[in-house]
Parts: sequence; structure tokens; C-alpha cells
Amino acid sequence: MAIAYLKPARGIRKVSPIVAAAAPATPELLYQRTAGGQNPRTVILRKVMIYNNTGANAVIQIGVGLAPLVPIIPNLYSINLFDNEWTEDDLPVDDVGVDADLTVQSSVAGIQVQVEIEEVGS
Amino acid sequence: MPALPQLYPYKAGAIEPVVLPGETVGVWVNKWFTFYEVVYIEGVPRSDPLEFDFGAIAAGGVTAVTPLLLTEMPDNEFAQLRAAVIDDFTVILYQGRADQRHKLRNRVATYTPFTALFDPDGHTGEFYVFEEQHAFGQATNQTAYAMTTARMVFWGFRYVLEQLKQYTWPNKVPATWTRIPATAHL
Repeated sequence: MAIAYLKPARGIRKVSPIVAAAAPATPELLYQRTAGGQNPRTVILRKVMIYNNTGANAVIQIGVGLAPLVPIIPNLYSINLFDNEWTEDDLPVDDVGVDADLTVQSSVAGIQVQVEIEEVGS
Repeated sequence: MPALPQLYPYKAGAIEPVVLPGETVGVWVNKWFTFYEVVYIEGVPRSDPLEFDFGAIAAGGVTAVTPLLLTEMPDNEFAQLRAAVIDDFTVILYQGRADQRHKLRNRVATYTPFTALFDPDGHTGEFYVFEEQHAFGQATNQTAYAMTTARMVFWGFRYVLEQLKQYTWPNKVPATWTRIPATAHL
């Protein structure tokens, strides 16, 4: 088992729902950031978990926006029937924070995606 | 010679008693100090019985100003309390029902899950409750989903008092005394 090194807390950790891609190359809402009382929070991507039982390898994009999705990290390649999990040490870009909802799209329908995020705010 | 402890309200760090037994306090209630000798002190640890659940709150919802009856004290006692929220919501503290605590001129600070990140001992949220004049809270769900539970927990010290009737505020006050802000200064 890999040792996970958690970064010092800047905010509070939360998880997204499990989102199953309904159609290929179609952006969907992955995590809705917290609006806050006075100021919305920043969302930092910390962990990505993907379940692929579709029969095909897939390219996953995580980003912001629905039309179109603008990636915030490089594409993730999900191998069919493999355990596809990226911890905060594994993610290709460190401390990616956005002031928007997170969205996801997959090249193959049926992929299940969940992320752990850290929300920074007050 | 051992140094006397430096004790005062809102002291940074892990919570400590604000005075020692035998010392004199002036408790601020209804815009008036009343003077007491502290005769007994006891710790009140953070624990399940001191947890208050505001209950389910809809996405973006705000509760009514809710009595926090668990903060009520017996006669001739006051409590020194700190608080933390457990779930992802915020709380405005009131003492009495219409008097918000921790406020500036135009904004009222809240207890949030982020407070403990920067004030892990909760000293900036310390407050005092005298006898039955319990606190009130108003909770807000700032998330985009409905919450089924919204919990807040308290800890601190209780102080048993004996009134010093020979002193009256503001004209005849003890030589040395500690101010206990048990209500808001309006």
C-alpha cells in the first residue's frame, strides 16, 4: 500500500458524488463548490478515483465549465478493469485550485468518477 | 518564588480558568457589573452531552435563532465556554436573543469549520454564560446540499459564586477584580 502524504490543511476536505458518465465526451457536473455566506470558496483537487468496467480504456478530463469543459489538469488515462486512483501525490499538477464548480467528461460512457477536494474559504 | 498565573478572558491557547478560587469577578449582565467571589471551579470537557444539533437545514437555509439551553447554568454560577462547529455550517452566537456576539460595526463573525484551522483552541470564540441567561445560535447551511445534522459542541469551566454585596458598580468596586463579559456590550 502506498504511503499518502497529506499536505498541510488549508481548508476542509470534502468529496463529490460518484458521477457516472452518461454519454461520451459530454461534460457533467462533478462537484458543486460551496457558495459561502459572503464569499464563495476555492476548490482544490486532491484525489481522483475512477471505476472503469466499460470494456474499453478511456480518457478522463476534469475541469470547469460545461460548454465546453476547460481542463484544469492533463487528461487522465483510465485502463479498463484496473484500479484507477490518483492521490494528491500522484496528481500531475500540484495544488490546482479553481473558483468554480468542477466538471468531468469521459471518452467512454459508463465511467464512474469521484474526487476528493479541499475547500478553502472562511 | 512561583509566578502567579496570567489569567484573563479570551486568552490564547488551550482553555484555562479565567480566575482562581478566592478571587473576585465582576459579571457583566444587563449593562451592569455585579461582584462575586469565586468559591469553586470545575472543568467541563468537550463531550457528547455538550453537543447541540440544529437539525436538518436545507441547502442555503438559515435556522431560527435557537435557544442553546444546554449552556444554561444554575443560580450563582457562570460558565466560561468555547465552541466549535462539527459539520459544514456556520453559527452566529446571541446573548440574549437579539444581541449578537463577536461583531464589528457592519459584520457579525460566525463560528465555521474553518475557525479551528486558524484558532485551534477556540479562544476567539470564547463566551460566558451567567445563571439561566443561556446563549442562542442561528445556523446557516452555506453548502449546495441539504444537511441532515448541524452540530456544535462546547467546553470550558464552571464557576460557583458567592455574591459580594458590599460592592456596587460603578461607584464602589473592589480593588482587584476580573471582568466577565457574560452578555454583549451594546
